[in-house]
Amino acid sequence: MRNFFGHVGRMFIVFLQDLSSMYFLLGETLTQTAVVLVDRNKRKQARLLEHVDEIGTHSLLLVLTVAALLGIALTILVSFELKEIDALSYIPGFVAVAVFREIGPLITGMIVAGRVGAAFTARIGTMKVSEEILALETMAISPVRFLVVQRFIGLLLALPALTMLANFTSVLGGFLFGSSRLGIRPDTYVRETLDVLLFKDMYSGLAKAAVFSVVIVMVGCYRGLTVEGGAEDVGRSTMVSVVSSMLAIIVLDTIMTAAFYG
Amino acid sequence: MISVQNVQKSFGNRRVLDGVSFVAEPKQTTYIFGTSGGGKSTLLKIMIGALKPDKGEVRFGDTDITKLSGHELDPFRKKIGMLFQHGALINSLTVGENIALPIREHTNLDDNIIKIMVKMKLELVGLRDFEGLYPGQLSGGMRKRVALARALALDPEVVFFDEPTSGLDPVVASVITKLIADMNRLLGITCIVVTHAVQEAMRIADKIIFLYMGKVLAQGTPDEIRGSTDPVVQQFITGNPDGPISFRASSRDYREDLLTG
Repeated sequence: MRNFFGHVGRMFIVFLQDLSSMYFLLGETLTQTAVVLVDRNKRKQARLLEHVDEIGTHSLLLVLTVAALLGIALTILVSFELKEIDALSYIPGFVAVAVFREIGPLITGMIVAGRVGAAFTARIGTMKVSEEILALETMAISPVRFLVVQRFIGLLLALPALTMLANFTSVLGGFLFGSSRLGIRPDTYVRETLDVLLFKDMYSGLAKAAVFSVVIVMVGCYRGLTVEGGAEDVGRSTMVSVVSSMLAIIVLDTIMTAAFYG
Repeated sequence: MISVQNVQKSFGNRRVLDGVSFVAEPKQTTYIFGTSGGGKSTLLKIMIGALKPDKGEVRFGDTDITKLSGHELDPFRKKIGMLFQHGALINSLTVGENIALPIREHTNLDDNIIKIMVKMKLELVGLRDFEGLYPGQLSGGMRKRVALARALALDPEVVFFDEPTSGLDPVVASVITKLIADMNRLLGITCIVVTHAVQEAMRIADKIIFLYMGKVLAQGTPDEIRGSTDPVVQQFITGNPDGPISFRASSRDYREDLLTG
């Protein structure tokens, strides 16, 4: 038992150390982002939009497929109960609110954390192992500016955009299922959806996506930059990166939902 | 002038550097050699500011670089170049972009001028036709030569080399050694080379620092090292398997180890 508490205590200390290091990394990233945006020469060098394309277009199909299926599944689940009490007309509003406030941002964040966050850690970790990061430092080039800033800007633009597209696709999935299989009239479905959905539902989802993108970039890049040793540690760090950013996303999602709607 | 004073460094219980002191004169080639695991690479990392020693100082001119951290090291780092053991080229950039990287970062030169500079640096290492290739498409020797071109990009005062010829065939190794000698002779660059290639060091070094078990065992010109009566130095430069340098790194008694499992 004492061993168990010792282990938990040590893990907590490591967690706090990681958290403070990531906080400093965020500070440095924001500083370097400002440098890049102000300095024309450095902006050209930074290839800022390289990752928007990579993250956005490469994740798009996966995100949209999952979103559409979840929209349908959610509609089926809700209809099962609402049919009993003859309240099918509540489905469009319920699905839209659930998707925009919660499911869309969360599921997009999770997919991108798994796909893109893992790639960040693996790529930067491999560069650490092959001394590329040390080479950058030796040339007085900030590795944060060279590697983190473009990923930060890329994800900050791509994740909210992906989230919005996922939201609309999910609602569309629900609409197609609801109007074809549950007999809700298409025009009623659209009207009900628009009646219930508020502007706040849109921007709360976008705010979540923005926060998640910061989490994914910070965790992904930090885990990559702290790789020690060889290929084995790259694998381990990638796993830790994905698990911890997913966990952080769920925790922050709950906090933000409580803050917006609690 | 680079002066290393009483540098100590331990990893856990293992003392890797135990009071290393020497001076590398400007515009000269200083070779640091010693046995594998003798602390050479650690010393090099401390000399470029990538690692902090537990004790001691490394003076570059008047500045003690061990007291600097983060961006404070930038002015020092703009004056040095470093050739990493495996090149450490950025794999996502072409050969040309790799060499242009430090120039773009630290100057405001026009793209056309940078292109010309890149070509000149590549010509120096004989690889002008390879500008558009990626590091993954080059052989180990070529990668090292590109890395050397990159190290020279900003016309540094000092270039550090980490095992410049290890893992290369004899011809390519000689080419790299000649490049180091030329850089020093023609461009007046101070070269600090960490290696275990004795013959190469004897041929072109102005000064040799012999590192053994974390200490400077001998230092001097190649002739002085050759004339050293120290049995360890003699064994190392003749490559004799028998002598005070044991190839066994274990400290526990063999018999005891076998019997206790």
